[in-house]
Amino acid sequence: MTEKSENMPAPLSSSALFQEQVKRTFRSNKLTGLGAVIFLLVLLAAVFAPLLSTHDPLIQNILDRLEGPSAQFWMGTDAYGRDIYSRLLYGARISLTIGGVAILSAMVIGTAIGIIAGYYGGKVDDVIMQFNDILLAFPTLILGLIVVAMLGPSMQNMIIAISLTSIPGFARIARAPTIVVRERDFIEACRALGYRDWRIMVFHILPNVTSEVLVMASLWLATAIRTEASLSFIGLGVKPPAATWGGMIREGFENILDNPWLSIFPGLAILLVVFSLNLLGDGLRDAIDPKTRVD
Amino acid sequence: MHTMPNSIQSSESNPDIILDVRKLRTSFRIAGEWHAAVRDISFTLRRNETLALVGESGCGKSVTALSVLDLVPSQNGRIEAEQIQFNGRNLLGLSEDEMREIRGNRISMIFQEPMTALNPVLSVGHQVAEALLYHRDMNKEEANRAALELLDQVKIPSASSRFKEYPHQFSGGMRQRVMIAMALACRPDIILADEPTTALDVTIQSQILALLGELKRDTGMSLIFITHNLGVVASIADRVAVMYAGNIVEIADVDSLFAHPTHPYTEALMRSIPRSDRDTETLHSIPGQVPPISRMPDGCRFAARCDLARPICRKLDPALQQINAGSTHEVACWVRGDHDLTAIEDRANG
Amino acid sequence: MKDHHAHLYRPSTDYSHTDAIGRHVDYLCPGAYCAWRSGTDYLGDQASAAALDAMRERLGLNRPLLEQYFEFMGNALSGDWGESMVTGKSILGEVINVLPYTLELTFVSVIFGVVTGIPLGIWSALHRNQLIDYFVRLMTLIGLSFPAFVSAILLLIIFSINLGWLPVISSGGRDDFIGWFRDLALPALTLGTIMTAYIARVTRSSMLDVLSEDYIRTARAKGVPNKVIIWHHALRNALIPVVTMVGLFLGVLVGNSVLTEIVFNRPGLGKLIVGALGQRDYTMLQGLMVCYAFIIIFINILTDLTYGLIDPRVKYQ
Repeated sequence: MTEKSENMPAPLSSSALFQEQVKRTFRSNKLTGLGAVIFLLVLLAAVFAPLLSTHDPLIQNILDRLEGPSAQFWMGTDAYGRDIYSRLLYGARISLTIGGVAILSAMVIGTAIGIIAGYYGGKVDDVIMQFNDILLAFPTLILGLIVVAMLGPSMQNMIIAISLTSIPGFARIARAPTIVVRERDFIEACRALGYRDWRIMVFHILPNVTSEVLVMASLWLATAIRTEASLSFIGLGVKPPAATWGGMIREGFENILDNPWLSIFPGLAILLVVFSLNLLGDGLRDAIDPKTRVD
Repeated sequence: MHTMPNSIQSSESNPDIILDVRKLRTSFRIAGEWHAAVRDISFTLRRNETLALVGESGCGKSVTALSVLDLVPSQNGRIEAEQIQFNGRNLLGLSEDEMREIRGNRISMIFQEPMTALNPVLSVGHQVAEALLYHRDMNKEEANRAALELLDQVKIPSASSRFKEYPHQFSGGMRQRVMIAMALACRPDIILADEPTTALDVTIQSQILALLGELKRDTGMSLIFITHNLGVVASIADRVAVMYAGNIVEIADVDSLFAHPTHPYTEALMRSIPRSDRDTETLHSIPGQVPPISRMPDGCRFAARCDLARPICRKLDPALQQINAGSTHEVACWVRGDHDLTAIEDRANG
Repeated sequence: MKDHHAHLYRPSTDYSHTDAIGRHVDYLCPGAYCAWRSGTDYLGDQASAAALDAMRERLGLNRPLLEQYFEFMGNALSGDWGESMVTGKSILGEVINVLPYTLELTFVSVIFGVVTGIPLGIWSALHRNQLIDYFVRLMTLIGLSFPAFVSAILLLIIFSINLGWLPVISSGGRDDFIGWFRDLALPALTLGTIMTAYIARVTRSSMLDVLSEDYIRTARAKGVPNKVIIWHHALRNALIPVVTMVGLFLGVLVGNSVLTEIVFNRPGLGKLIVGALGQRDYTMLQGLMVCYAFIIIFINILTDLTYGLIDPRVKYQ
């Protein structure tokens, strides 16, 4: 029992093992489940925003401007008389779309880069990873800021910017297990059988990388949504009058002294989504980490 | 030579006995359930005696040693025993502070991996001096001076210049010497040595064994020497306890054990000692492996790997018994022990 | 547009770390691209070819890329960062004017995070899977879920608007300690609590790793008191990964200071960069990127030096 050999970390998670771990995590760690439920609810709210909203998010009504929360306006109205609750619902669509598409594309590109660097090794690896590390060292927000500023603020450019800032992380995460798997005998066997490199990478290496990549994706989706909100707050987000959470805070900030709820509600919305994703990702990360895995 | 069997010796009747462990059971929690890694074992240790605990990995040897010092992790480990009598004092139920007074002071321990068992960010000298700082009324300077003498004593060359160096600057053998110096610092009554030579290569191994033997002779301490290698045992032990799957299956004076290995597991271990005077073809490995503590079979735990196993072996767990009346050589085996097998099998079936 | 992108990549044979970041910086804000944008930005989409040529001439964009690049890096290293395209002021001068604000904010936040985060992490680790541990883990997870501007606004609402303890808008008074402190308190608290959350979590997990190490058991077998084991044997080892993470989070902090500077209307690099973005001041942005690169290199050097202090296995040639 105390002998070293039996405390060796478990081998890399295959996808079956990953599913088993995830199931066990959801059973044993209630908070992970809570994170998933909250996120799912926000996702549903975004999808069904037209059904759930009580007002048109864009229609201005000067007579009702800066109303406090009431039965008519559940979370009050902004300086143009727009309903904050409805704008929050539509803002969720933008935040989740930008975050989701950006992380999805970063995941695909970053994982590909990481696997290629790890699989080929040598010069290819050196060049890719050196460039990667520099990007990684740069503050995400500054990087995103520059890219959006250069391309101009739009939904598509936000996705490109946030995706760019997330790619290096995925590349690093995907590279590490690739290097381990590359040395295994069955990869050697595949090579001996004359399999093409891409086939080995897609069918034999990728499955060994997915669990870690997916876990990090949930954590980095949280970061992406935070970055999107931050960029919108700075004024580089999707252009008004579209409702974005960061943009709503930015507009509300002008009336912070008298009408703090203008900033508080969207602020809490961002917090809730980011927190639920962190809760989820954190639990999943513990699940695949052999050190913290519960016996 | 004592004529009393090991299992009924006691420290009250015999002041020569420094450690008397009775019915020690140490369990671990795995997936919410408790499983015993050490099952009701009893043994005694005399003053200035070396007792070897022998067995494969996972047999509970290390756990036994850790249990004596109450070093089993408390969240998922549990120690139960009738008594762990040290020098006439029961260690069970001592407070953490009282236990700390004994650890490293009266009983100390040497670990298997000198690389991971030494703190990488503290100087070697400091780590040796520490035991003295907390157990002796010494200031830092005095402790350091004493630590330097200890490093000399365990034959670390130019100890004074290496005093302030860190573990990573030492070779494996030198690190194990540092561990020994640490264990020796307070002149303990007992040193528990957990596979102290396993991680070292053969020449260093024999140096460390010689050093331990020498220190034991000079200081009059007792030694519990844990190893999976019976070959090492012959050169250092006075008495040997063979452990299998949490039980002591055979216990005897070293000469008696090597002359009459009785338990099939002991025999198997003997056959697996590499010897220069025999053909390599006769070197055997034991088929199968020790069952994990969460999946222990009923009956004798060795039965599944035993050529001699009979139906009774898979049903009832044999207890330690003298191989013949008045002997200090005891074995726990239905087949090899002094049993009337037909009567027992009849009773088990009836 | 395609043509302009073709200029984006600039080959270089120099692979030193410092310059690699410089190259990357330059790649991110390439002169050719900037000029293309700024040309149309300033001169309008209908600008004549002659006007664009004149602009390129002024910015030196008609010369070979490698030449431009080496000239820029050479100048930057020798302290000439050029002038702002918009105001004509020296970029280095502008940066030096605001740099102390950003640095003091970052510094105070990190100190706050270290002083609160490390004990919190240890406390949590020592009560593993008990109520305290769950509480700390939950609170820190909430802490690092806060976008800096949201926590900044909440703090502003609580402390400045509701309680009235601190000024809503920085007075800019740096003469006396009280004024300096009042200005710095909320921005530093905003970034500091994020730091606390990160550091507490890293300290906790690293402490748990270390506490299960063999050498901790050795110390216990020696009879070393528990307090000494935790604060002397375990903590120094546990701090090694904490230093790595603090180094990484410093970058995050520098990035997040953009947001706090906006909310609290504080001068600093972040304000400068947002201003430059608004005015499409590309030379200023280029200078700021170099500045950020230098800060990151500086943080890396500092991190490496700190390793040497706590880990004897690290040696410098």
